[in-house]
Amino acid sequence: MDFLDKVYKKSDSIVFRKIADEFILVPIRQNVGDLESICTLNEVGARIWELIDGEKKVREIKDKIVEEFEVTPEEAEKDLIEYLQQLEGIEAIIEG
Amino acid sequence: MECPHIPSISYAQFSERLHKQIIAQRIPIKGSFELTFRCNLRCAHCYCNLPLNDQDAIGKELTTEQVFSIFDQIAEAGCLWLLLTGGEPLLRKDFLEIYAYAKKKGFLISLFTNGTLITPKIADYLAESPPSEVEITLYGVTKETHEKVTGIPGSFKRCQKGIELLLAKKIPLRLKTMAMTLNQDELLNIKEYAEGLGVKFRYDPELNPRLDCSKTPCNFRLSPEEVVKLDLADEKRVKEWREFCEKFLGPPQSDNLYLCGAGISLFHIDPYGQLSVCMMSRYQNYDLRHGSFHNGWSNFFPRFIAQKPKSDYKCGQCELIALCSQCPGWAWVENGDLETPVEYLCKITHLRAEAFNIKKL
Repeated sequence: MDFLDKVYKKSDSIVFRKIADEFILVPIRQNVGDLESICTLNEVGARIWELIDGEKKVREIKDKIVEEFEVTPEEAEKDLIEYLQQLEGIEAIIEG
Repeated sequence: MECPHIPSISYAQFSERLHKQIIAQRIPIKGSFELTFRCNLRCAHCYCNLPLNDQDAIGKELTTEQVFSIFDQIAEAGCLWLLLTGGEPLLRKDFLEIYAYAKKKGFLISLFTNGTLITPKIADYLAESPPSEVEITLYGVTKETHEKVTGIPGSFKRCQKGIELLLAKKIPLRLKTMAMTLNQDELLNIKEYAEGLGVKFRYDPELNPRLDCSKTPCNFRLSPEEVVKLDLADEKRVKEWREFCEKFLGPPQSDNLYLCGAGISLFHIDPYGQLSVCMMSRYQNYDLRHGSFHNGWSNFFPRFIAQKPKSDYKCGQCELIALCSQCPGWAWVENGDLETPVEYLCKITHLRAEAFNIKKL
């Protein structure tokens, strides 16, 4: 299956917070995060997080990002796939 | 967290970066919440404890739903660090429900407990959904000393059991104590015990009166000389004090009565829904049962923290103020007014300054 056809939803093991001008991910469950560090997202990362809704395909998210930010489709695709894989790796999102 | 391409920074870096924004935008980033004033122990020095089955207190405590609603509101306002404390917070039958809800809101939670009510079920739950830190207060390394403070037979063993349960589950733990006349001889032993367990330790020697202004806890205060002697016995503590002074000492930067982060980035909520600017200043509160956190934070607090001293406020000109625990809230419970210096704290501060060679007196 093409990665761009995948659909992701947010897992309930992590909470997204926007505080001041910072976007952060706060783990709820064990193993999701260690306690010495905290994950911050940049503006694009935060927007992607917002777009992950269990319905949109990765391709649609990519199109939105290309539309909203100054980035080529190739760059956006590469970065998006890498980013989603990382989010999946820390159990912040799950497929389906 | 294993997310190499998602910037992962240390709490310290994150806090520093956030700090400026928080102050500039006045975000309530850090809160403390007393879930109950009731406690199963009867510690001699406690500033707030009420009996386990105090029906009046039970009747006045916020319901589970009211606590949830407040959590919703403080999360919306930007609270990140949340301390759950008491009394003994684990006394509440709905503690795990409250804790789970707080986790779901994305708070970084610290939990203060006496450790005696930690069961395998609670330890399992905390292991599955860990707090940033649990702090257990231990008053001695012997049953005699610990229970001389707590007033409850069997509390030492139960506290130790609680510590063991948390350690077995690798839950981030810190031990702490209040240093007072009843346990000062074992202070060093408690520190060694903590180090032996591989957990962090801290102590506080400054006892304040009860919230109802009763001076009973003050009967157990160490003398200012004893407090400083304890400081000097700990090289690391002296070094930390010196570093702190180098960074922060000097005349206050404001002519306000409040010179700290109270009401600017900090807030406190008591078991009955009374919102205050910090844990110490409770003489004027905002009632969250009849108003929103937003209203309390945005309309009540700014007026409160902008108060100017009404008299010639001695502490407002003191270059050592950053080294001192003096604050209007403490002055209120100690002296019945906001501006009279707490003599006990003043003595400790000046002795410290002299002992650390901070100011030639």
